[in-house]
Amino acid sequence: MATIQALTDQLKKKFGNAVTGVENPSATQLFIDFKKEKVREICNEVLAQGGRYLVSVGTDNLAKDGTLGLIHTFAFDKEHYFLSLRTATKESEPIESITPDIPNAGWSEREYMDLLGMKFTNHPKPKKLVTADDWPSDIYPLRKEVPFNIKPLAAENVAYQLDECPEGCSIVPFGPYHPTQHEPAHFALFVDGETIKGSDYRGFMIHRGVEKLAQTQISYNEIPFLAERICGICGSVHAASYSQAVEIAVGHKISRRAEYIRTIMLEIERVHSHLLWLGVAGHLIGFDTVFMQAWRVREPIMWLGERLTGNRKTYGMIVIGGVRRDITPELKQDILNVIGTIEKEMITIKNAIIGDTAIHRRTKDVGYVSTEDTIKWSLVGPVARARNVDIDVRRDMPYAAYDEMKFSVPVVDCNDVWGTVLVRVLETFEAISIIRQALDKMPNDGPILTPFEDAVPAGMHGITAVEAPRGEVTHYVITGEENRPERWRVRAPTYPNLQGVPMMLLNNQLADVPIIIGSIDPCFSCTERMEVVDLRNGGMKVMSQSELEALSRNKR
Amino acid sequence: MWLTSKIKQVLLVIKPGTVTLPYPFEPHPVPEGYRGQPSWDHHKCIGCGGCAAHCPARTIFIRDLCQDLRVMVYDGGRCTYCGRCADVCPEKAITMTKNYELATGSKKDLCTTMELFMATCNRCGRCYEMETKNAIDRMNLKGYRYDNLEMRAVLPVCTEQFDTGMLAKSDRFKRPERIGE
Ligand code: SF4
Ligand code: SF4
Repeated sequence: MATIQALTDQLKKKFGNAVTGVENPSATQLFIDFKKEKVREICNEVLAQGGRYLVSVGTDNLAKDGTLGLIHTFAFDKEHYFLSLRTATKESEPIESITPDIPNAGWSEREYMDLLGMKFTNHPKPKKLVTADDWPSDIYPLRKEVPFNIKPLAAENVAYQLDECPEGCSIVPFGPYHPTQHEPAHFALFVDGETIKGSDYRGFMIHRGVEKLAQTQISYNEIPFLAERICGICGSVHAASYSQAVEIAVGHKISRRAEYIRTIMLEIERVHSHLLWLGVAGHLIGFDTVFMQAWRVREPIMWLGERLTGNRKTYGMIVIGGVRRDITPELKQDILNVIGTIEKEMITIKNAIIGDTAIHRRTKDVGYVSTEDTIKWSLVGPVARARNVDIDVRRDMPYAAYDEMKFSVPVVDCNDVWGTVLVRVLETFEAISIIRQALDKMPNDGPILTPFEDAVPAGMHGITAVEAPRGEVTHYVITGEENRPERWRVRAPTYPNLQGVPMMLLNNQLADVPIIIGSIDPCFSCTERMEVVDLRNGGMKVMSQSELEALSRNKR
Repeated sequence: MWLTSKIKQVLLVIKPGTVTLPYPFEPHPVPEGYRGQPSWDHHKCIGCGGCAAHCPARTIFIRDLCQDLRVMVYDGGRCTYCGRCADVCPEKAITMTKNYELATGSKKDLCTTMELFMATCNRCGRCYEMETKNAIDRMNLKGYRYDNLEMRAVLPVCTEQFDTGMLAKSDRFKRPERIGE
């Protein structure tokens, strides 16, 4: 057991002077400052103590002390706390990459190479990740001196260089636009016949600059609405996660009733999201009955959302300090009726698909990843739980009213796409049961909104995770001046999971690619949330880009 | 196994029958509390600018044509129907209507313009300080791209070339005192 005390002692003992500060502002938050030379050793030690890597946060402190900050965050699930390892480096000095040990840090580090101009040594794949191919290499959009709406001139003939294709394989481009992908992302699949031997990913084509916008343009209370629009399916989780991060950073307590209402909204969202996914998964394997029926069953919950919040999807419910609308006794009855019907229908759907050999053939042993690799790559959510990794932040890091809810976390050991179907179906029933419990136990008094009395003090750090339908969402907030955060880092569940996709694809058939990518329930817009990008992918072109452009421009 | 599944699936499909709504041939009513297009009641509005300052999409613009005439423009093209404006309005001048059929060929159809006659302070002769310190003026500062007509002329040029000199110039930018200046 690496409790906060034990871990701090261990790190201090092992690294002595390299550990320069320890902060433990609340029971779930531990911040450790250290000297950057030891970054790899310390991260390895944290892994050895049972830490699970979440995300890294890069910050720009150039104006303050001439450094770029880097924060590696970890979760200690069994001990219920988050560890943030903070360090800083001079602009010109490189810092050691932790990607060789923690593969999932790869994207975070590449992101800060692109956005903050950090330099990493020993990074296994130091390629562009976020910014467009023709983005000037000396403008780092997340730095404070760069205006949020900067628009550099476009450049011609710059293209992403794909990874080396293995000997004897050919490249099949999948996307950016592909009938089975609902959002643009480019996978280059290296195939030998029908079998996939490797892949490269070039995404971030819909990177929208949400974090920069929040850090420069809008204020604390408006960000929940922006956060909600990070994802078109699980928006509330982002609003909840952001609001909690701010509340934790400044130690603001909200009423119990508001926490219950948050729980109910988050679970309603889970039910609708899982039904949506089930439909899409059916569609991806060509089984449109499942698609039609799952979406039919889902529709009443969308209407329920409309009655509860005023909108069928972008609920706009969760804000800093609580929620915006109350659940009246009539609405309570309404919720009970709707989830009652959905539960019945869900049982019918479950019985109809669970034994269907056609589905089994398309999903069993497809997208296999071993449990060890799942842990090594820090995959999250149903993708991890289908591979026998028992994590769920609702139980491990209770937030809102989950500490009083009784529910089980479905974990299966199929290690394949079928497992993710099972986990999601079972979770839907759990979600329905949580909604019932929450409605039952919800206290009747208490304000639904507890606004801040004073201005939010600057320089406070807070990190939270919320279990979204697709896995956990992590938000890190550093409060700042001018009524807006200085840094707000969003990590959507697709961010780690997408990094695991090449592993899932390996040695599978080309025809299974849509369902494997679909099985993580990818949400590219969530993943690519940060800076306005206009990417022209010249990946595998036959015509030159200018020819293509001329062609499309002249077309009427 | 396969056959029983198929039978169950047939039942699953047959039981609910047709669920498709006849919309748009019949109207589809929305529930109470629906957040549709916001609408302003100019009788109630006092022109405080609260809605404009809190709109997350920054789609409510305020311009003072002169001391006594304030023009408020709601540009629905960017509205997210979050209802924040209605929440913060101290006079309850904004209602989220049930209007959701907003598709149109002209963006003008989505905009509302309100001209408010502002009272003048008896003591100082103006309603608020015209410096860059107060919230209403901050909204007009650079950054909110097209909230500010004057800035529109400066920004595209400066961002295209990323000339810091140009930025400094925009920092010193001064609001025109008269219309047409
Ligand atoms: S509904 Fe929201 S986005 Fe629309 S004008 Fe009001 S505050 Fe702005
Ligand atoms: S908040 Fe209300 S009173 Fe103030 S300007 Fe807006 S509509 Fe008018």
